[in-house]
Amino acid sequence: VFRNKIRCVSSFAGESAVPPNLLLPTNLVDPSRHRRPAPPPDTALPILRSCDTSLPAHLSPVRTWVQTLMNPSDEPLGLTELHPDVFAVPPRLDILHQVEIWQKNFKRISHAKTKVRSEVRGGGRKPWRQKGSGRARHGSIRSPLWRGGGVSHGPRGPTSYYYMLPMKVRVMGLKVALSSKLAQDYLHIVDSLDIPTPDPQYLTELIKQKHWGQSVLIVDVGEEFPENILKATEELKTVNIIPAMGLNVHSMLKHESLILTLETVRFLEEKLLWHDIRFSPLYPFKLPYSDI
Amino acid sequence: MSVSVCLRCSGLRGAVWSALRLRPPAPGSPCAAAGLRLFSAPAPGETRPSIEESTAEYKFVERLIPPSKVRHGAGKVSTGWVPPSPSPPDLPYMIRRSRMHNIPVYTDVTHGNRLITIVRKVEGDIWALEKDVKAFLKDVTGKDLPTQVNEVTMTLKVKGHFDRELKEWLLNKGF
Repeated sequence: VFRNKIRCVSSFAGESAVPPNLLLPTNLVDPSRHRRPAPPPDTALPILRSCDTSLPAHLSPVRTWVQTLMNPSDEPLGLTELHPDVFAVPPRLDILHQVEIWQKNFKRISHAKTKVRSEVRGGGRKPWRQKGSGRARHGSIRSPLWRGGGVSHGPRGPTSYYYMLPMKVRVMGLKVALSSKLAQDYLHIVDSLDIPTPDPQYLTELIKQKHWGQSVLIVDVGEEFPENILKATEELKTVNIIPAMGLNVHSMLKHESLILTLETVRFLEEKLLWHDIRFSPLYPFKLPYSDI
Repeated sequence: MSVSVCLRCSGLRGAVWSALRLRPPAPGSPCAAAGLRLFSAPAPGETRPSIEESTAEYKFVERLIPPSKVRHGAGKVSTGWVPPSPSPPDLPYMIRRSRMHNIPVYTDVTHGNRLITIVRKVEGDIWALEKDVKAFLKDVTGKDLPTQVNEVTMTLKVKGHFDRELKEWLLNKGF
């Protein structure tokens, strides 16, 4: 629903009807961004990656295109199969909300502190005698009734809002976020993060041409990234690159598009599906188990 | 004995500590001349074996470390556990097994008298499952039991404890 009903597309044939000083609302979806169709079952393109883990019998893997960042053409390199228990999970918006709010709040320490009547300087002596002066009876000049007195029920000291959601809820949040991105056509799989130049302009043009959206989050596994992409994303504010261990719901919601490499997909499937078949921890999972 | 008596007196503790301080006997001291040596020191002519590092015994530790993943359900078991059928049944809904490969039907008691049976991990058309469950329980009990369908969490709640009947029924269906 557009409040101003501003159309991006011009009704005149050869002219661009958008005046240069027009301020468009930021939540307008780019109209030239249309949903690309799902890969048909009889494509000639090769399946570059199929699921490693065994699938449940009643589910079939989700197929998506694999693109490349090297040349800005629109043709995909091939297909990849994604595990339905990670990328086609029912859209639990309540879990997504829980995880997002947790991410926002668990780090919060509010340092707001006010002085109580005992902490305010002064106010030990009774200001005037109890009876006979004609004024109201008071015990100290710093009681909360007085101007300059202490606050009776104000914020007290650094308060921590730390809490932990269960591990499985957080994992489910990641799965729901990934599934939502895939369902809304905001998830793009790329074979590797090699680009020809370290120029940030190349990336912005590529993103604009492929209609990937306003902001892009690039995820890769491994400690080292190709130099070109690191330099290109360094200057850009809306294009960010993170390792796969740093993938979180807030970043996925903040950025419009999510780019994963094939290695990242394998890593995420392995890590997220483990939680569906694991025992509850006898001791923390950081310590060694026989198959971790 | 005399040493233990000395230890009880706090004043003489310092003297006892210096007497018990372990020092190897100096070559010219009366201890070495008398033929005394510390138990830890080797006898003259005797060679103690050097320290040997071996990792061959680590296998005894390794086999004690527990696994983290639940193993696949075995085929034939004497406990009465029935594996799910290899092909999913031809119904509009699907009920997955729990991580321990059991049927996800659970009972709950609140306020001491409120009995509820919960069917979790439903996928597909949950309303068709509700209809089938209602029909089945009508045959079993003769009553129309109240049920609650939660489409967000995909669970079905039925008033009363029917976990045994529902588990058998779902097993017969092949879930």
